[in-house]
Amino acid sequence: MGKSRSPLLVSFIGGIPAITRLLGSLFIIWLTLGWKVRKAKKAFEKELIKQGMSKQDAERISARYAALKDQAMTAFKRSIRLFP
Amino acid sequence: MLEVKTAMSEKPEKKKTASEKVEEFKEILSTFSTEAPALIKSIIASVFSEEAGRNMGKAAAAFYKELKDSGMPDNVAVKMTEDYIGVFTSLGDILKRAGEKGKFAMSPEKKEELERRIREKIAEKRIEEAEEEEE
Repeated sequence: MGKSRSPLLVSFIGGIPAITRLLGSLFIIWLTLGWKVRKAKKAFEKELIKQGMSKQDAERISARYAALKDQAMTAFKRSIRLFP
Repeated sequence: MLEVKTAMSEKPEKKKTASEKVEEFKEILSTFSTEAPALIKSIIASVFSEEAGRNMGKAAAAFYKELKDSGMPDNVAVKMTEDYIGVFTSLGDILKRAGEKGKFAMSPEKKEELERRIREKIAEKRIEEAEEEEE
């Protein structure tokens, strides 16, 4: 009984669970990133307000901190486009 | 002994079979699928965790407090604190630009000129300080 399977097909099928796991992890990271940035931003603003800064000014400054996330996402998307 | 040595040196390298290659690929993919997300999570946690935000806030707040204690008006202190935080966000831009085109790579002639100018400035400052001391 000789099974003639293409090695490429076999490796692709064998790699599906790992690829699924990878994509799932990346999706969860992407989903939770926004929530984490919001928490970090709130903690950041709280420290500024403790030192006497107005809420408005603290929010304005924390927006610069949160802009890092947008930069990171842009860089990540650019790296994916360059990958192939 | 010599015969054994020659036999060993003549032994051909074992070629990987297709199934071995497949197994190797699956192992690499499996390792990558566990390690890569963990790496990304740790990088994100170092910048965007609550603790990281709190620490950054403390640094900015300390900067703001020092400016206020030195008598600076509130709007100026806020603007300077904003610029201070802006340094960290623009750092990514700087590194990106440096990586893309090597704009910050200096030619040897420019480096020499920069060093010469720095030395001249230092010498001028020393002369001024010496003159002030004499007075």
